[in-house]
Order: sequence, then structure tokens, then C-alpha cells
Amino acid sequence: MSERRAGITRRRMLVSVPALGGLLVTGCSDTFRPPVVRSGLIGAADVLTMSTSRWLQADQPLAREYGREHIAPEFPTWGQTNPDDERYQQHVSEQFRHWALPVGGLVEQPRSFSLADIKALPVRTQITAHVCEQGWSAIAEWTGAPLSLLLEEAGGVKPEARYVVFHAVDGWYESIDMFEVVHPQTILAYGLNGEELPVGNGAPLRLRVERQCGYKNIKFIQSIEVVDSLAGIRRGTGGLSSDFGFHWFGGV
Amino acid sequence: MVESSATASTTAEPAPSRTRRWVALHGYNVRICHWINVIAGGYLLLSGIHIFLDFPELYWGHTGYQGYPAIFRLSDWGLSWDEAGELGNRMWGRNYHFTFAWVFLINGVIYAVWSAWTGHFRARLWPAREDLRASALSGELREHLRWSSPARTAATRYGTLQKLSYSFMVFVFVPLMLLTGLAQAPAFAAAWPWLLDLFGGRQTARTLHTIGTVVFVLFVVVHVLEVLLSGAVNRIRAMVTGRFRLPEEAQ
Repeated sequence: MSERRAGITRRRMLVSVPALGGLLVTGCSDTFRPPVVRSGLIGAADVLTMSTSRWLQADQPLAREYGREHIAPEFPTWGQTNPDDERYQQHVSEQFRHWALPVGGLVEQPRSFSLADIKALPVRTQITAHVCEQGWSAIAEWTGAPLSLLLEEAGGVKPEARYVVFHAVDGWYESIDMFEVVHPQTILAYGLNGEELPVGNGAPLRLRVERQCGYKNIKFIQSIEVVDSLAGIRRGTGGLSSDFGFHWFGGV
Repeated sequence: MVESSATASTTAEPAPSRTRRWVALHGYNVRICHWINVIAGGYLLLSGIHIFLDFPELYWGHTGYQGYPAIFRLSDWGLSWDEAGELGNRMWGRNYHFTFAWVFLINGVIYAVWSAWTGHFRARLWPAREDLRASALSGELREHLRWSSPARTAATRYGTLQKLSYSFMVFVFVPLMLLTGLAQAPAFAAAWPWLLDLFGGRQTARTLHTIGTVVFVLFVVVHVLEVLLSGAVNRIRAMVTGRFRLPEEAQ
């Protein structure tokens, strides 16, 4: 684990983002239960899986961080590798100089971040395994800004905030709960293996949520929304993959 | 007449009389757990194959992805990666695998606690020391290779080889399948990083989990074959009703 510039401990984060810390207490059931519990045995198993995982993660352990020698020679690109979107292609050709990330919803001061603003936040670099639900895994070094610090720059989240939703250029969307938001390894990555994040891996910004499968690590983020309910968003399950039928909690 | 042979442990006991043609063979707990296992194991196997076919390549160590040196690739055996992937929607496999893993686990914990509590493990599953001697084992193996025999169709206790294979499945196979499964899950690997060290990496755990699937299939094939060879109707009925009808020749 290497942290450049500011050391970010969980304690410091909880103290510096009081609203987030408070949510760990008030939003307790969110920690153990997916936003939408599916019917039947599958839904019961979902709740068992998520609550068992979170119970074992009660002290917010870090996902394994590896030595540099474990970095995969070529990190795979998967799924969407180059969105067919005019404005996005424009940003690519301009090296994302005019790109901006709106952060809205239940934050105290909704605002927009340029890539330079995000890079100016305390940097976290972590060498972790990307675990695809299909079964493949590859280790890479990710560099980015902790999500909790970005939200703090937007004034912090309001007390009723429960989920953070990420919208991507290609229409993909995904959400995580506050338990993952406050985790130090939950970063918005703009660097891969010491280089700028390539287009194939989600440039300019992708989510790293290291204790969940690859499909939660959404690429090509274009806006962030903090909400108290996922019900009104698209099909209401909290993500395109869970709209399709994947488990919203991607821990297994 | 009662068969008296070298394989005394597989012969019906106590010596049945003409008035006692039925014996209680399996307790209700063993029967309920057995059939839940059939359902859970069946779903786990099918959904596991389904998940595997979505990425039919195996690796050793921490890393494994298409293009990285693999130890097994289905495409090397003439089946294309895409064909395997087209067998169905992989969400089906994942959803059912994790659902029936819970069914299997809860069922298994109930079975284990009950069996330890009642002494079922010690009395029925654990081989006696004298039965583990080489001469006793080779004698039983010889008897076993006669395929269908009166000793086999009349047995009301597990043979030593049977006890050893059941004990292996309960005490070695199932814990290893559980741990190699959990080691692949990022949430569990974060909470229990020793899982990754235990197996030497997530991909090694996945490969061992797949080899375990082959062991499971072999176990099921042999188990079903044994049931067929030792009086299928009587054996299956005993696992349903608990009562076992002693064959004529054993009475």
C-alpha cells in the first residue's frame, strides 16, 4: 500500500466526513441488504451472502495489495472499450481538457470537477487484483482520488444520503452503498500502471471498488449522483448489471 | 441362512430371523439431508459447469486472463470459447451456484452437528482401526470386485471403503470446495486474506475448485453404480422410508 501526499486513514475519513460516518450507524440495514431484495431462494441467498460478507468486513479490511512484480504484463480490456459517442470522442481528441464531472444529488454543494481538479485531490495508488465475475483476474496498479474526499470537496453528503450512483458515457450505470464509499481503497482511478488511464480501460475516470467483482468497477464515468433511494433510477435495481439479473452486491 | 464370510463387517447384523425381515437402516436426518444434498449438489454441479464454460480456461497462481499462460484451455481441445459461452446466460449460473451453495452449507451444518451429537460419525462413518489393516482392506476390495454379491445386497453397515470415501467427502472434500470457492470471492478474500495464501492465489483456488468438480462427478458416478449393484430398489427405498428389506438369502 502506498499513499502519496496525505495519509488517509479510515478514522480520519470518518471524522472529516461526518455525514458519512453517521450513515454507518443510521443506514445500518443498507450495509447488510441489497437495495432491492429479489424474490424466492435467490433473494434469500443474496441477503445471506451480503450480510455475511459485511459482517466479516466489519473492521473495513483492505483488499490484498500486491507487490509490483505481480502486475500483469497486459491488463485486459473487456466489455465496452471505446464508446461510440460523439462528445466522448471529442474529449478523447482533446485529452479530456474540457471534460468535466458533475457531482450532484444529496451533496451539500453540488459542483463540477475537471480532470485537473480530481488530480489535485490527495492521490492514492494501489496494486490490486481486478476480479471478473467470469473467473479471470489480473493485477494492476491504480492511481486515483478517494471517492470520499471528492464528495467532501462537494461539501460532504447530506444525512439522508444512502447510495452513490455512477453514470457512464455508454449508458451503463452502477451504484455502491456508503460502506464502500468510506473505504480507503474506493477510488476514482485516472491512472493505470503509472500511465494515464487508457480509453480501453475507461478513460478518463473509472471506479475501483476492490472488494467487489469487476462489473461494479464502472468505466467511462461521466457523472456522479448521491441519492437516498435507487427506486427512481432506470429499472430501480441500482445498476445495469443488476437490471440484467446480476447480484447488486458484487462481493462474490 | 446368514452368510458367513471373511467380510463379516459388510454382512447383515445382528443375525436376522425369519420374523424380522425389515430393519431400520437410515435415520430421518440422514434421509432428509441426503435428498436435499441431491438437489443442492445437482444445482451446484450444473451451475458450476455453466460458470466455468463462460471462461473455460484454468491458470495457476494469482493471475489468469485470456492471453496469459494457461494450464488448461477448452479451445485447445477443439471447443471454441465462444461456443461454450453461448450455452446460456451466465447470470443463471452465478445466481443458482451461490443460492445452492447456501442450501448445501446450511444442510451440511445441520447434518454435521446432528451427526457429531448423536455419534453418527463415530458409529457409522468412521472406519474401525482393525478394518484399516492392509489385509482387511484388500479382502474387502476383492469382495467388492465381485460386483453383485449377497454380502453386498444384504449389507446394513457401510463397508470400510465406503466409510473412507464418505469420510473423505464430508471431512476433506466439502471443506476444500468451500474454501476454494470463498477464496475466489473478492469480499471474502478481503476479509480473510489467508485464503489467498492458503492456496497460493485466486487462480489456483479456481483450478482446484474445478478439479474438485471432477472428483464430485466421479464420486456421484461410483455412488450411483454401487446403489445399482447392491439392490437399487431396496437401497433407494431405504433412503426414502428408512426401512431396509433384508434379502431372502440373508434370512
